[in-house]
Amino acid sequence: MGDSQYSFSLTTFSPSGKLVQIEHALTAVGSGQTSLGIKAANGVVIATEKKLPSILVDEASVQKIQSLTPNIGVVYSGMGPDFRVLVRKSRKQAEQYHRLYKEPIPVTQLVREIAAVMQEFTQSGGVRPFGVSLLVAGFDDNGAQLYQVDPSGSYFSWKASAMGKNVSNAKTFLEKRYTDDMELDDAVHTAILTLKEGFEGQISSKNIEIGIIGTDKKFRVLTPAEIDDYLAEVE
Amino acid sequence: MSQAAVEVPPKGGFSFDLCRRNDMLSKKGVPLPSFRKTGTTIVGLIFQDGVILGADTRATEGPIVCDKNCEKIHYMAPNIYCCGAGTAADTEAVTEMVNSQLQLHRYHTGGRESRVVTALTLLKSHLFNYQGHVQAALVLGGVDVTGPHLHTIYPHGSTDSLPFATMGSGSLAAMAVFESKYHEGLTREEGINLVCEAICSGIFNDLGSGSNVDICVITKGHKEYLRNHHMPNPRTYFHSQGFSFPKKIG
Repeated sequence: MGDSQYSFSLTTFSPSGKLVQIEHALTAVGSGQTSLGIKAANGVVIATEKKLPSILVDEASVQKIQSLTPNIGVVYSGMGPDFRVLVRKSRKQAEQYHRLYKEPIPVTQLVREIAAVMQEFTQSGGVRPFGVSLLVAGFDDNGAQLYQVDPSGSYFSWKASAMGKNVSNAKTFLEKRYTDDMELDDAVHTAILTLKEGFEGQISSKNIEIGIIGTDKKFRVLTPAEIDDYLAEVE
Repeated sequence: MSQAAVEVPPKGGFSFDLCRRNDMLSKKGVPLPSFRKTGTTIVGLIFQDGVILGADTRATEGPIVCDKNCEKIHYMAPNIYCCGAGTAADTEAVTEMVNSQLQLHRYHTGGRESRVVTALTLLKSHLFNYQGHVQAALVLGGVDVTGPHLHTIYPHGSTDSLPFATMGSGSLAAMAVFESKYHEGLTREEGINLVCEAICSGIFNDLGSGSNVDICVITKGHKEYLRNHHMPNPRTYFHSQGFSFPKKIG
């Protein structure tokens, strides 16, 4: 329709009631590398493809899964530099919350603050929305939680979700495979199988990244050796 | 355009607006309200495996003991602790702020262990910026990749790096003990005993220090916070059945 005439300005609604820049941001996310998260009965796992532009890139220096607090981790699909900025802001906000209330920030609160930052960038002058969707995994007093945050600033709690290139296949696969009483180890296997579904080339510990958090409430990224073990179990 | 007085939001830093009011009040004979100082004896020493910090536990408000068992050894990082003397609120606030900054720094540098000199520089820059108005005198100690470190930080922002150090109103009493008994290569037991002796010297000879001894031992990859390690001032007399005063009738 006349949508394209409104697609240049972030802060102008199109006649059909959409903010076209945000749609474009979601497209940027949709062409990013696949990432997914699964909430198990006793923890959460998040995983992503780690396809590097060339074999010359030192894959140990690339960390797509980051921790925001000792018990909250995050993965993304979309633009890496935007992710870095959001991670930095979120860590600072989590620290400020802790300084003010003297308790570790609950997962929902942190997600809300990240979403608020992302929304700010959809209603300000001279900025563009973030080109990432985030999957935030955490374990606090309310148990295991998994949230997805979109460039618009909207967030949803998921039992299992996927984002990026292969999202529809991955979500269908997850819908079939997900059970409410899954254990964390089963969830890791399911995550690997889901990544394998749309994977171009041979899956190995060098081109995927997995982060888990269990009842110990300590988020950690699995080492390549641990990923190899899980891959062997899945074969 | 009327009254072009623009309200500029404060850019941080100390706001000296009320100093004129305080001056005027004190000229009229109104005394400044007293604030809670920690009085204090705080010490630190380097022993063969790392650093030992010690502190007393009395907090004073003028002539009154307002806290008989306060905590003066503050956590900065898993491998760094800081003792604080001076105004209690200042030492608390400044150590918590730097603790937070160190935590963020660790996230941004991939979980690398914080260095003592990092904490030192963050603290001294903050104190220098406030030109001594933040009255915190600190003994900072820790063990990092470069080895054990012990520093003293003065309220105006100057620092010293020493093998043994004391601060606070009881510092002279404690330093007397250190100067006569400190030597290099102390073992853990010897170090703890020496720190305990120095703090006790402050507790018994300085009115601003008292109650119990807190100790913190930091070695490579390990730390032990010995809260109330030594309690030389127990409450001796208790009425075994308690008291029951009759209620006033009429």
